[in-house]
Amino acid sequence: MSRRSPLMLQIATGDPRPINRQITDGVKRLIAAGELAVGASLPSVRGLALQLSINPNTVAKAYAELTAEGWLEARAGLGVFVAPPRQLLSDHERRRRLDEAVDRFVGAVIGLDYPAEAIVARVAGELAQLAPKKTA
Amino acid sequence: MNALETNGLVLRYGAKTALDGLTLALPRGAIHALVGANGAGKSSLFRVLLGFTSATAGSAAILGCASTALTPELRGRIGFVNEEHTLPGWMRIDTLARLQRRQYPHWSEDRYREVVRHFDVLPTQKVAQLSRGERAGVNLAMALAQRPELLILDEPTLGLDVVAKRAFLDALMAAGFDDEATIVYCSHQMEEVERLADNLVILERGRLRLMAAPHEFTARTALWVAEFPFQEPRALEELPGLLQRQRIDGLTHLIVYDQGEETAARLKLLGARTVQHMPVSLDRAVNGMLAAGHVSNSRAA
Repeated sequence: MSRRSPLMLQIATGDPRPINRQITDGVKRLIAAGELAVGASLPSVRGLALQLSINPNTVAKAYAELTAEGWLEARAGLGVFVAPPRQLLSDHERRRRLDEAVDRFVGAVIGLDYPAEAIVARVAGELAQLAPKKTA
Repeated sequence: MNALETNGLVLRYGAKTALDGLTLALPRGAIHALVGANGAGKSSLFRVLLGFTSATAGSAAILGCASTALTPELRGRIGFVNEEHTLPGWMRIDTLARLQRRQYPHWSEDRYREVVRHFDVLPTQKVAQLSRGERAGVNLAMALAQRPELLILDEPTLGLDVVAKRAFLDALMAAGFDDEATIVYCSHQMEEVERLADNLVILERGRLRLMAAPHEFTARTALWVAEFPFQEPRALEELPGLLQRQRIDGLTHLIVYDQGEETAARLKLLGARTVQHMPVSLDRAVNGMLAAGHVSNSRAA
């Protein structure tokens, strides 16, 4: 039996982001940061529900979404695993999503009165942290 | 088939209308959270559904059977926990559990122990000697151990400490997930609703106000903040989807339901100089929905 990787994830109630979104965002971050390696086995639906004290259906929904987007793959009877990276979205869709995210972000920071360079540097730092850690 | 269903249900106590033409259908195999202000009709609904009270008009059915004609066999498939946790005070806990075990063919001793162990209750104690929280624990443990097809809970976690509450919620979710039980659960605690519910049902003054998945409801609700340079226009009251309105430091805060981006143009048209919006939490969204019809906000006629 393959050993499951723990999912170091926290959810917050009272957040405008619904719980299933918090899970999908969290898992994507962990995968992008290399903390969940390709092929790692995620907790069972029941297990993660118990860990987070939430409805198992919510976990199932989040896993299904991540699987549909190509982040995870389900193997019958074994559970869900981190999928090898591949690009599922069309170029057009990627561009659209990037535009949308940038739009939202700019809208949120514009009033904060930071110089543009400071904001760009901050984002670059955040992205650098997400880059998979290369092992020598 | 639906777990429970009502059609034009009316219940009056003298001059007071508790249920006002309630039509509701809750599908099986999900956790439904019923939310409403005090007196919204939640407890009345349960009383009618379980055949404790006869409706003034309309019909109600539970697990496909009319509420006015429930058989003992059918009652055995339904678990009900009321907020008072009424149990016979003179009875010992072990006697009570033994009685229940005999009564319910699907009784799970494991589940009973799993839940009841979180409470400091001795088998030899009498019900009357327990605190409110302990009584709730015993009652909930017994309801879950019955492994009912349909479990109806009226404010189940009121008075439980944090550890007991979490243990109970875990057991409840296990019942929903492993036994595919339908759970109808009424609560004022949005944190629990957010963690637990597949489906959110908002009742208001004996009517169905809204039914949706909690995250969908939240996504459709937004907070808008507008700046009106002079006075707030009177027409603001007619803003589509307006649930709640507050003036804070000269800015108008509005909770708006189900209107998308169009609200921006509408507010501009009403003379707003600046308009901003942001998503809200479930707690805030439900609060807005209930506040819209709350008795404290109704204007004197």
